[in-house]
Amino acid sequence: MRRLMLLLPFLAGCEWVADPQTFTREEVARFKAKAEHPAPPANPTRLKVMAWNVKYGACRVDFWFDFWGDRTQLSSTEVDDCLARVAGIIREYDPDILITEEIEVGSKRSAYVDMVRYLLEHTNLRYATFDETWDARYVPSEGLGRINLGNAIHSRYPITLGERIHQAERTDEDLLTKTFTIKRAMARAEVDLGDRTVAVYGVHTEAYDNDGTKQKQIQQIYELLKGETKPWLIGGDFNELPPVCDEKATAGSAESCDGKLRLSGFLDERASSKGTPYEQPPYTPSVMKQFYDDFEPYIPLARYGVGEDHQRPYFTHSVLGPDGVNDDGRPGWWNRTLDYLFVRKGETWTDADVLQEPGRQGISGDPSRASDHAPIVGTWGLP
Amino acid sequence: MKRALLGLALASTAAFATPRPARDTADVGNAGSYSVGIFNPLRIAFTDRVELQANPLLFFVAPHLDVRFAILKPAVEAGKLPMGVRLTAEAGLLMPTLGMRLMKGFFFPSWATSTNDIGFMLIPRVGLLVSGDFFQDDVLTFRIDGQMRIPMGPHSATPLNSFLAPLEILFAAPLTGFLGRFGGAYDHAFGDRLRLRGEVNLYVTGAQGNLSVAGTNVGPLAPISPFIFTAHVGLDIAVFKYSRLTVGALFANYDQGASELKVNADGFSERVRVRSNNILPTLDFIWAGF
Repeated sequence: MRRLMLLLPFLAGCEWVADPQTFTREEVARFKAKAEHPAPPANPTRLKVMAWNVKYGACRVDFWFDFWGDRTQLSSTEVDDCLARVAGIIREYDPDILITEEIEVGSKRSAYVDMVRYLLEHTNLRYATFDETWDARYVPSEGLGRINLGNAIHSRYPITLGERIHQAERTDEDLLTKTFTIKRAMARAEVDLGDRTVAVYGVHTEAYDNDGTKQKQIQQIYELLKGETKPWLIGGDFNELPPVCDEKATAGSAESCDGKLRLSGFLDERASSKGTPYEQPPYTPSVMKQFYDDFEPYIPLARYGVGEDHQRPYFTHSVLGPDGVNDDGRPGWWNRTLDYLFVRKGETWTDADVLQEPGRQGISGDPSRASDHAPIVGTWGLP
Repeated sequence: MKRALLGLALASTAAFATPRPARDTADVGNAGSYSVGIFNPLRIAFTDRVELQANPLLFFVAPHLDVRFAILKPAVEAGKLPMGVRLTAEAGLLMPTLGMRLMKGFFFPSWATSTNDIGFMLIPRVGLLVSGDFFQDDVLTFRIDGQMRIPMGPHSATPLNSFLAPLEILFAAPLTGFLGRFGGAYDHAFGDRLRLRGEVNLYVTGAQGNLSVAGTNVGPLAPISPFIFTAHVGLDIAVFKYSRLTVGALFANYDQGASELKVNADGFSERVRVRSNNILPTLDFIWAGF
């Protein structure tokens, strides 16, 4: 106690209390598997792709911001068990390219496990790059502690360049919160396929802003992809619904969302989240329209359909897992689509799917108990 | 401005006959003497051999009391031991639960949807200090002490793993179940007004333990090295008749769960765990009376 005086955080050593992430675009580290994995076919004409928000290896443990639980930390056993499930599903699908969000490499809540390394050693993926978006030495809120979270791109083919590209920041947070909370950055990797190099992007846009930050980030992603000169693939958690309708259209009009797309009142939203920093802001699916107009989605809107009954097989997210029930007694299940894969317009997707449960694309693992997002997959026919 | 204030304080002081006594030694004051800092504890001697010690800032949220007992005291046993060696035993008791519960939401979870909580506990502490004189007014001190948690109910809080060593040390026994220390300090007098003190400590905490969720053990927490090394250099500046201003810097090296990237010759990187360092300023004003 006698030395708690003047504990100025910024004098507390040589490491940032929280990385301010002042970069615009910068190269990031690349990693290589130590384990021997089978070499992929040379000069491929198609790539199996998976994108998955892996919820920091927590599987279906509910954290305090989920409002269905109040955990702030996992045991080593829980993280090991969860990552074994995640890696098992990845091995079963066996992608050439894996894009992950909410993957951690040294966070207190996930037992300081380097998950990028874990997936390198426990799947057939041989190379990786990690795009750090939240690097705080200590987050005092709820005793969260050290956080090191981001997006990763894993590949069976060599990654010759890893980059992160800064995204627009929130303007609706106070300075203290802003210092210690998550930032957003796109991951970009150049993957050497032998006869060509492709660019792979991983994204995870803002979830809880009320100042239009997510919309700015999505626009930034769109513009970056329009300027990409290499064949490209993008995947990730856009935190936005598909543009089945226009949320701004007046009720009853042809573009209105009535009966076509649920915009609010999802079964996993708990009343106690209202008025908190983790309340779900209104969705704005119209911001995704240009992606569907100008790029090639892995599941086109025609297949996605209109109304929940048609759309349900392609939902990718639920805060509440299948072993929990909401306040009305309804069990948790995937109830909205937030995750996407796109390639350049005119290129092809085959076998695109959302791995919601065992049996999808032949897997036996259960993704509904491995994260609060489902892995999304497809085979990209290279141009 | 700072220089002017310091000058004023020094100028208001009567001529010092002897330097201020060294702090945090095995010395126990004579009956009626006391000292208290803003952050340093209140220490009152009730007899020539027994002092009571408590920290006023913490006392009402974390009730505690230490007793210091002079086993060997030169004033009483003058001439019997070389270098004026004195030996003091310390024993204390702390109940930190209320203070820790006040920190729920920050540093500790709120546990809004479960019955998890910070449990009631008692933290007994015992220690031994030995000091000896060098040269005219220098003092060398060694100390060893230990404290442990006696649980008095379910307890769900886990170690902080924070970025500030003083916090880790403060909460080590309540959160890991144990804190041991072995340390030494050398205190040198520069004339009548200044004392320079150097101190090093090696702390050993308990293990991180298991994660308890609503009374169920869900597995071990990630291991963290239990060793905390600290070094402190401080300057005491005598002001007024008995008081002093203390300024210093604390260095600490311990495991915060940090990792660093090492780039290999092939251009690929490895993430390796590293120990982290703290460098913190320290400042206090200590009043004393005899």
